[in-house]
Amino acid sequence: MIRQWYEPLSAYEWLRRTFSFLNIAVFIITATFIFSEFRFDWFENLVGSYLVSTNDSRPETGAIWEAGKQTSNAHKYLNEIISKKENARQNVHQAATFFDLAAGILPGEWVTLEKQQFRTLYLTLEKSVALKIIESSQLVWLLNGSSLDRIFCEGVTGGIKLYFIDSDNRVIKQIDLSREDILEIEDGEKPVSGELADMEGFSGRIYPARNFFDALFKLPADIIPDLMVNPESLLKQNGKIINIGIWNETENGYIKLGFEFEETDGKQVVFIKGREWAVWQLSLNLRGDEN
Amino acid sequence: MNLVLRFIKFFRFCLFSGLILISLGCLFGMFLVFYAAKDLPKLPSPLSRIIERPQTQIFASNGQVLITLGERKTIPLNMVSQDFINAILATEDHRFFEHHGINKLRTLKGLYITFFKTGKVQGASTITQQLAKNLFFSFEKTYQRKFKELLVALQIEASNTKQEILHAYINQIYFGAGAQGIEKASKVFFGKSAQDLSLAEAALLAGLPKSPTNYNPYRHLDLAIKRRELVLKRMVHVGFISDIEAEQAMMTKPVLHHAQSDSRTGSYFLDALINDLVLKYGEDVVYHGGIKVFATIDTRLQSYARQSLKKGLERLDTMMGITQETVDHPQGALVAIDTGSGAVKALVGGRDYYKSEFNRAVKGIRQAGSGFKPFLYYAAFKNLGFHPGTIMTDKPVIIPVKGSADWEPENFSKTFSGDMILKKALINSVNTIAAQIVEKIGPESVTRIAKDCGIKNPLQDVYSVALGTSGVTPFEMASAYTVFANLGVKHEPFFFWRVEDAFGRIIFEHIVQEKRVLDPATAYQVVDMMKSVIESGSGRSIRHLGFNRPAAGKTGTTDRYNDAWFTGFTPTLCTSVWTGFDKKKKLLDVNRVGITGGKGAAPIWADFMTQALKSDPERDFPIPANIRFETVDTTTGCNPKEDNEIVEVLKIPLKSDQQLCKEGEL
Repeated sequence: MIRQWYEPLSAYEWLRRTFSFLNIAVFIITATFIFSEFRFDWFENLVGSYLVSTNDSRPETGAIWEAGKQTSNAHKYLNEIISKKENARQNVHQAATFFDLAAGILPGEWVTLEKQQFRTLYLTLEKSVALKIIESSQLVWLLNGSSLDRIFCEGVTGGIKLYFIDSDNRVIKQIDLSREDILEIEDGEKPVSGELADMEGFSGRIYPARNFFDALFKLPADIIPDLMVNPESLLKQNGKIINIGIWNETENGYIKLGFEFEETDGKQVVFIKGREWAVWQLSLNLRGDEN
Repeated sequence: MNLVLRFIKFFRFCLFSGLILISLGCLFGMFLVFYAAKDLPKLPSPLSRIIERPQTQIFASNGQVLITLGERKTIPLNMVSQDFINAILATEDHRFFEHHGINKLRTLKGLYITFFKTGKVQGASTITQQLAKNLFFSFEKTYQRKFKELLVALQIEASNTKQEILHAYINQIYFGAGAQGIEKASKVFFGKSAQDLSLAEAALLAGLPKSPTNYNPYRHLDLAIKRRELVLKRMVHVGFISDIEAEQAMMTKPVLHHAQSDSRTGSYFLDALINDLVLKYGEDVVYHGGIKVFATIDTRLQSYARQSLKKGLERLDTMMGITQETVDHPQGALVAIDTGSGAVKALVGGRDYYKSEFNRAVKGIRQAGSGFKPFLYYAAFKNLGFHPGTIMTDKPVIIPVKGSADWEPENFSKTFSGDMILKKALINSVNTIAAQIVEKIGPESVTRIAKDCGIKNPLQDVYSVALGTSGVTPFEMASAYTVFANLGVKHEPFFFWRVEDAFGRIIFEHIVQEKRVLDPATAYQVVDMMKSVIESGSGRSIRHLGFNRPAAGKTGTTDRYNDAWFTGFTPTLCTSVWTGFDKKKKLLDVNRVGITGGKGAAPIWADFMTQALKSDPERDFPIPANIRFETVDTTTGCNPKEDNEIVEVLKIPLKSDQQLCKEGEL
């Protein structure tokens, strides 16, 4: 049934319709709704509770979380530094040679080296080779006589730097070791393929083995050990010595001697070092023999 | 009747429209809540977690904590002065304990004013809303941000008690001057704990969060006091205090605590150190990494440096006839470096940090004037074989410059003194002789020596570089002069010895490395000449002021009296002092006479060095083995003749291979 709406014809009708039960009910509900909100803040509570329920699924954004992330980034960065240092420290502590030491520290990394460990590494080197790093008497003074507190080892591009520092962090002595130096120190006694005649520095000072040993045995017995300070590398060779060369330069009181071996797979030269004054004595004998 | 009908019609229209609007508003509001809720930030639980942050500590050389970055000393509410709690509630949100995160009436009023009163914006944020804003939102003013902030405030209210919210608020709010949280603020501003704050102090602090910079009492005390009045009036209005109490508090002049002035806001040294750290490790590590930094600063020397500079600049004010009311005051900077290591022992970058944070010690690039001459003389000795007894002539000089006007340097005295030995030329800071030397050796020789000694700012290869026309900082000058103090050995200047992480593991250690950059004997010859600058030259005011230790140095005054320098050293400490205006403005005394480095900066240097070295044993500079001394006539460069003629003589150091009166040495 369709009821046709019509405009009230009288004020009474207007009032009756305006204040109908439905209108009054809607009005009261709305008023209650508004006043109860002002009185009890239920809307705030409702929204607040809803947001509490969704809290865990919301993103960690905003200033306070950003600060937390910055803290986390900072810790990550610091831990990286510490971890790199720790790795370098372990590598250094496990190092058995200076080569291991250099290989264990990357450029920009540094680690404190114990005095005892440096001493051990130094003592593994043959004396003439050790001199390339530091004069033994100077090391004795540094380790036992000076105000040395620790040895600071820093990795640099192409090698390492060793700082001997006192308790005020002042550098008493600095040693720069390039990778080439270290390789030379470590591999100094390894044979090199080739002939003495092809090597610079021996020119005019190459002698046949027989002549060399004849001249050597003419020397007083107490001088001979000083001519072959480290004969181990020679004794390890199976081939036959053909020629011996004397280097034309002195290094830390030693002169390099090259022994040319004839091996089954070609010629090889083994280097050893002899005390300068002993080699000089030998040279006199060799020249005398030549004359 | 018609009127009644119309009224009824209107009433009905309003009623139904209102109902529809409310319904739509509710629907729209719910939509907004659901829509915005998914992007809202997560709230940490418990709320107190927001205050937990690792703190970076910086220690002085004596172990004293200089500053804790990010420090927020959390204290429970019952450890905070009730006056402060009342003051902050009265000022920020007096219905805090009544609402649930939003003050609806105030918000409606605020919206009405914002929308209907042109040009006016009314804030209506409750404490909870402010907390939400501080924790999660930027200070960008948008309606979207405001709405989200409101929602977070509702969540904070729903999941925390009022006490917890107030506790979080007062412990994280920023008061300015590096103070976050009420405990830190009351320590920084009043040197006391938050529970001991008086009503006047509490009201002053409660007024700061509205604008920590504008109301910073160290800088704008008058504004801070006005704001305090407002806070006290609010407290009276809300009923926390009586009119009499408010008036009594208003009468109280705030006594600000200055012992904390070496904190983040008060220390040029810390600014420089923190910049250095940030460059090395980044901001995250420095401000959020909880690291420990062991600085080189000596707090005793730093205090002397601050006092000496303050006293010296006040003396300069008097000389220049400048009063308190004058807007433009001369500025100054002082840097002291340990010559044996390069450690920066004291650094002050201005007159008052609270008025200007610009660090003139490390950022103020100014012309050094004659302070550059030691580099010139060293270069001449080294490259030309000159020595302190070499004769040159003080005469008018015109030096042609390619592609530019001829250079005609003048002496400060505007007079010429004829022949003189180089030692005398440096003592009297003769510009014409310096110009002749630089013409002979070339400016690049001078800049090379300066760079070798540690000047890092770009130096122009022009003749006038010998007279210090290139810009350098006091930090660079102090650092470069330490090379002379060490007779040629350079140490890189540095601000911290060691950096550790929160667990004490070492991240960085400074190793003091020496690098020989100058020949010791030649450097000694320059040092000997610089000693005479203090004994009888442009820096003699130092002796008049009672500083009697062996020391060497050089004044520097720029052409137009814009800069007055003195950089000098003893064998253990090198200090550079600069004074001048920030703008291009001359340092002139009340008689319009220019103020030189000897008058402006040297007294500050003398005052500082006297105090800094008072407990140290007196030492002279070591004399290199190949140095011998000769007494020479200052006008001939030869040993004085043994007749009775009175001549001026000076004792000069010569290297073993150098001779006096060498024919044709020029």
